[in-house]
Amino acid sequence: MPADQNGTKTGTVRSPLKHLSRTFLILISGFLLLGCSGQEEYPNRPINLICPWSAGGGSDRVARQLGAQLERELGVPVNVINATGGAGVTGHTRGALARPDGYTITLVTAELNMLHWRGLTNITYRDFRPIMQVNRDDAALFVRSDAPWETLQELEDAIKSKPGELRASGTAFGGIWHVALAGWLLESDLKPADVIWISINGSAPSLQELMAGGVEVVSCSIPEAQSLLDAGRIKCLAVMAGQRSPRLPDVPTLQEVGIDWTARTWRGLAAPKNLPDDRFRILLSAVENVVSSREYQTFLQQAGFGYAALPPAEFEEALQQEDARYGRIFRSAAFQSVRSQRYGPMLFPTVLLVLLGITLSLLLLTGNLGIPESAQKLTAAGLGKVGIAVGAVILYILLSGRIGYMPTMALILAGLFWMLKVRWFVALSVIVVLVPLTYQLFAVYLRVPLPWGWIGW
Amino acid sequence: MGDALMQALQQTAGSPEVWLIILFSAVYGVFVGAIPGLTATMAVALFVPTTYWLDPIPALAAIVTMVACAIFAGDIPTTLLRIPGTPASAAYVDDAYTFTRQGQPERALGTALVCSVLGGLFGAVVLMILGHQLARVAALFSVSEYFWLYLLGLSSAVVVSRGSTGRALLALIIGLLLATVGLSEVHTQARFTFGRPELFEGINFIPAMIGLFGMSEVLRNLIGYQTTGSEPETPQAEKSGMRRSWLYRVFIQPVVEVIRPAWRLFARRKGHGLRSGSIGALIGMLPGAGADIGAWVSLAASKRYSKTPEQYGRGSLEGLADATTANNAALAGGWIPALVFGIPGDSVTAIVIGVLLMKNVNPGPEIFQKQAVLVYSIYLSFILANLVLIPVGLAAIRAGRYVVRIPQRILLPIILLFCVLGAYAMKGSYFDVGIMLGMGLLGFLLERRDVPLGPVVLGIILGGPLEARFIQAVTGSGGTLLAFFDRPMAAALGTLTIFLWVSTGIRGLMKKE
Repeated sequence: MPADQNGTKTGTVRSPLKHLSRTFLILISGFLLLGCSGQEEYPNRPINLICPWSAGGGSDRVARQLGAQLERELGVPVNVINATGGAGVTGHTRGALARPDGYTITLVTAELNMLHWRGLTNITYRDFRPIMQVNRDDAALFVRSDAPWETLQELEDAIKSKPGELRASGTAFGGIWHVALAGWLLESDLKPADVIWISINGSAPSLQELMAGGVEVVSCSIPEAQSLLDAGRIKCLAVMAGQRSPRLPDVPTLQEVGIDWTARTWRGLAAPKNLPDDRFRILLSAVENVVSSREYQTFLQQAGFGYAALPPAEFEEALQQEDARYGRIFRSAAFQSVRSQRYGPMLFPTVLLVLLGITLSLLLLTGNLGIPESAQKLTAAGLGKVGIAVGAVILYILLSGRIGYMPTMALILAGLFWMLKVRWFVALSVIVVLVPLTYQLFAVYLRVPLPWGWIGW
Repeated sequence: MGDALMQALQQTAGSPEVWLIILFSAVYGVFVGAIPGLTATMAVALFVPTTYWLDPIPALAAIVTMVACAIFAGDIPTTLLRIPGTPASAAYVDDAYTFTRQGQPERALGTALVCSVLGGLFGAVVLMILGHQLARVAALFSVSEYFWLYLLGLSSAVVVSRGSTGRALLALIIGLLLATVGLSEVHTQARFTFGRPELFEGINFIPAMIGLFGMSEVLRNLIGYQTTGSEPETPQAEKSGMRRSWLYRVFIQPVVEVIRPAWRLFARRKGHGLRSGSIGALIGMLPGAGADIGAWVSLAASKRYSKTPEQYGRGSLEGLADATTANNAALAGGWIPALVFGIPGDSVTAIVIGVLLMKNVNPGPEIFQKQAVLVYSIYLSFILANLVLIPVGLAAIRAGRYVVRIPQRILLPIILLFCVLGAYAMKGSYFDVGIMLGMGLLGFLLERRDVPLGPVVLGIILGGPLEARFIQAVTGSGGTLLAFFDRPMAAALGTLTIFLWVSTGIRGLMKKE
């Protein structure tokens, strides 16, 4: 670690300092001495690969495979962060707003083109600099094997004769497979509202519901349904792709039966928009090597995912076209009418608030919510200590992103030890051992992206 | 069957490679599980790239072992620091931590270890024999059954809490309300987010749990902290008496001191163990339920049949024993729907499906015929894993007692550090650290008024799914509430839940008179 030129002249103040202030000074001068200098070669520290979906899912598997291979290409650790939640909003937002220094890249998924149409975020594909599309899976329609429909036409007739009777799922409301189904219905002159969409989060629980008899149709990608297809529990009526799937050569595509609609999910790598060209080129060539490698292709094939390798320009064009297509669906009056649901999002909170009111008033009336005698007395000194502890956590939130995990944590521990009147050499030795140890443990072994800051390795 | 079993035995118990991998995974699992904020899923996800170079059986054996060990290891920070390592431990935090306050963490941890191992073994055996049949039951679960199951789990959390039912109910409602923050998955509409993108992800239960229990405990200790002096006496269990040889102290003494009392406790109440194991195994095999609900429901049943129900939440070894039995028995169950239908029961089995596919093994009903050896190997791995857990767990318990000896003034800042790290580790998010802090203050305030914290955590975990299942069921039925009773299984679960509430109400009234 090269020494920082600016940080050499500190820590000369001496004298009747209390033991802890001395600890502080020693620490601070230490950090300044060790601080890293600004100019660097890219990449020289761990890269974070944001995956907007949870550990264990399909996207996570792809992200971890890419991460493991990119690590070898780039020579620095590539840590997968599962920034889950908000139906993909969290991860995509974090990825788009990250500092464009090449140390944060995102595994963007098909939802990128849908979230903003649903009014959930302002982030669109234009906030990213696409690197490569790395996988693509076509949608298909599934029913139970004992269902009375053998062809897509029979299913359409059933929907036409009894609109609003059949139930379908595959993902949450307005998700990719819902749009896939709605697009098919619109193209075959049916209304999206003719099939009731049960909002179930994820294709696996939707397939479970299909088997339990809670829904009649599931729309999802082929690999997701493969085991149940192989087991003969469900059958596929149509594939929403340009050509037949090699996995299901007997199943017709929608286009073959005269419906002009395709839908798919895909995954790709993208960086924040303003990533400088030189770093973009380094990343791109690494990603190209990974995606064209036999290892990656075997992984996709064995895990049941479809292969894709769209270079940046084509990827961007595909994003643009798809975004426009989804915009048409989402803005269509027919789909808008489906979106307003009978049981609105405020039903459950309202019920809870009423229950809360009842419980609270009952407890207060019966005097059951008082502070018991045995509770500790609140003293000014005690509250002060609590305040310092709370402040310490806030300090971590504010400071660690800037100066890094180790200086912040050392500062916090020093402050707390001072408050609890720990002897300074005990405090110092705990800090010197514990802080680097936890950093090594979490940041290096467990791949937690602890803030780098002034020192880190 | 016999043939396949023999082959499976040969390929697992008979293979030094598998033993070595299991031993390594056990240490790794205990290690990761013991760190607050890192879950069993995380341990497995980090390990996945390594599985590419392993054969299917060692790879799966490794995953089985690290999960089984991580769930037990979650009890270690729960007991020592009051930071639940996994949500499955949140059910009995107060029971376990009471023993640390009394200076006897080894009693709680010994019980947890023995019962975890026995529960794990029980789960493996049940599923080896009945797995295929049980899978059919799982396939019958539609949204309305899940609704009742979640409600049953939540009700159990209220019933088992110490003190008044009213305060536990308050805690539960607070938890459920906290769960409504963020994007409603079923409506895909934002609620209570005030336009902040961070709030879209809602309140993650891991930082919430660390805050509610760990951070609030730090704050509670700081309030009462006397700078001038008297360290709370940690009663030294060390008895004088004659010095034994180191061999005795390393190998025999832990067994005598830690395992034997726990085993005696278990042996005295075998029936309870059987009940807890069955509850765990049954709930575990339902996709979307799992070890945490298993622990709560089993704890509720345990309190119902206990002679000393008033001890629950105040250091009840019985409750601790039953809950740890159930959450480990639930683990093996989660693999059933994954293997039979390719539907993952939790995030760990989702990873397992990925590993299976990568090894050219397709999950599906025929896996029991085509890949019988592999399936039996998985269950044998559960057994081996639990056996290996005994020495590894013991070592961890022995190491843990040094934590208790650290003076409080040094330990408190270190716990605070781990609270911050644990909250941050899950997603690398500062917002989660903020959540942890907020929940720490909330937990501190609630505890002062003697409101239990367990139901808050379970409310945060199950609030989203409960609402989703409710909306899904009524949407599917066209708006009638009949949907919750018109299927036999749903009706049975619903009746059970209602019975639980009615009987708790009657007991409460009878006590007053």
